[in-house]
Amino acid sequence: MIKKLLIPLFSIFILMGQMPPNIIIDENEKDIRIKPNIAGTEVVLYGAMPSGKKDIIIEVVGPARNISLEEKRRVYGFWLGLGRAEYFQVPSYYNIMSSRKLSEIADQSVFDKLRLGVINLPLGNAKISNTKTNQNIFNKNLKKYMLDKGQFKIGENKIAVKSGPGKVGIFSAEFLLPSNSYQGKYFVRYFIFQNGEFISYAENKIDLKQAGFSRAIWLTAINFPLLYGILAVILSGSLGWLISTIFRRLKIS
Amino acid sequence: MEFYLPIAEMSINPIGFLVLGIIVGTLSGTFGVGGGFLMTPLLIFLGIPPAIAVASEANHIVGSSLSGTIGHLRRKAVDIRMGNVLLAGGILGSFLGIYIFNSLKQVGLVDLLITASYFLFLTAIGFFMLYESLDSLGYFGHKKRSKYYHHSWIMGLPLKIRFRRSGLYISLIPPYIIGFVVGIFSSIMGVGGGFIIIPAMIYILRMPTNVVVGTSLYQIIFITSFVTILHASTNKSVDIILALILLLGGAIGAQIGVRLSGKLNGAWLRIALSILVLAVGLIMASELIIKPDNVIKIISGSNL
Repeated sequence: MIKKLLIPLFSIFILMGQMPPNIIIDENEKDIRIKPNIAGTEVVLYGAMPSGKKDIIIEVVGPARNISLEEKRRVYGFWLGLGRAEYFQVPSYYNIMSSRKLSEIADQSVFDKLRLGVINLPLGNAKISNTKTNQNIFNKNLKKYMLDKGQFKIGENKIAVKSGPGKVGIFSAEFLLPSNSYQGKYFVRYFIFQNGEFISYAENKIDLKQAGFSRAIWLTAINFPLLYGILAVILSGSLGWLISTIFRRLKIS
Repeated sequence: MEFYLPIAEMSINPIGFLVLGIIVGTLSGTFGVGGGFLMTPLLIFLGIPPAIAVASEANHIVGSSLSGTIGHLRRKAVDIRMGNVLLAGGILGSFLGIYIFNSLKQVGLVDLLITASYFLFLTAIGFFMLYESLDSLGYFGHKKRSKYYHHSWIMGLPLKIRFRRSGLYISLIPPYIIGFVVGIFSSIMGVGGGFIIIPAMIYILRMPTNVVVGTSLYQIIFITSFVTILHASTNKSVDIILALILLLGGAIGAQIGVRLSGKLNGAWLRIALSILVLAVGLIMASELIIKPDNVIKIISGSNL
């Protein structure tokens, strides 16, 4: 079951049939609450943009998280994980979507200036210990891992642009925030391009919150750790006892 | 169907984990090992972050060993007095173990310590048990050993008490020390310690094999309860949902295991356990020797 969320942007312009001078975004923050046991939340971003030969790129950056990397080295014939790189500011989610292939929209140098794309995504300073390997190599590996695991995504041609009333194009982009997504603010950045040049920009935020039973468990574990530990032992013990009792009753002998 | 684990922050398929619980639970009930030394590496392999795997596994073992102990109590196969002495040493040992763990963590050598501990214990115990049980079956052409073992001077130390269930009249000191040493390593390795304490009970304390499994499970309940609370209050890494799913499968498996262990021949049981222990030890060792596909890997960071 997937919950659909629509996040409209400056829909007023569509109603007025005017061409927006620039991208204007809805100032309201949207709360997305994820309930447990679902595949995730499907988010639909839509809005209006100037029509004509224009392209749009949308970038979604999730809240920061910690990640540690280990580097194995051969010491006396044994592969030991001695080197460490500890990151504290890695985006837990990253998704770049575009209306065409990125390479067709603009040159890489343009994206570099805008700090757009996985290559330009900052991972923060890592605390590197016990190795001479520099952070760029760790960064490259980390980005590859994140892409492989689907935490980072590249969605070329994922944005549909239709012509609306007047000189307005309506774009819509759908993506899935999996149910294991981190809580917190997801920054959404919108970039409009024309003839390979960047022409306008807008941004907004999505506030993601877990809700329900899982959330309550998580809060207890964080706020009342000792109580949580004792409860965990009691629950585990009672279930073990219950099952052995059921087994004894079932085994009529 | 998907289940969301609040602490591990990931979605899992509960059926797969239930089956995993049943398989490991059967082994646990049969051999009296908590199953942690198998389950923890398997959970990590399935993508659960190591710290959460270790802590949640301890929580799982609380329930599965309790369920197993009840089965053994019913068959009068638990030496509670012996269990309490081992436990008293074990609690003190796990305090020391956690102290060592935290000091090495600061130096960045904790992974090496864990892997080395696993490898040393698993292979040494595995080889020794395999040799001993094959020997007792007459494979090495030795004479079948006398039923009455020569008690070494260690057993004759002061503070002698009677362990009725085990039919022993020995000093308190050796079981207390065994409990202590096992406590150190079980807290470092994040396991109940059954696979270390069982051979110690059989080969050092000379306890009869029929009470060994129940007694081991009995003391594991308390050791893992202690470890669970410690992990929850310091690292906040116990995923209760994961533990309960594993337990549901594990407790069912343990019941099957208890019945199996009553029917199987002791020597063959030990051969099977020793092969299992050796296999896990060798797999862990191979990771130290074989060149990894990628020298850089993610070691912590949930939902990966």
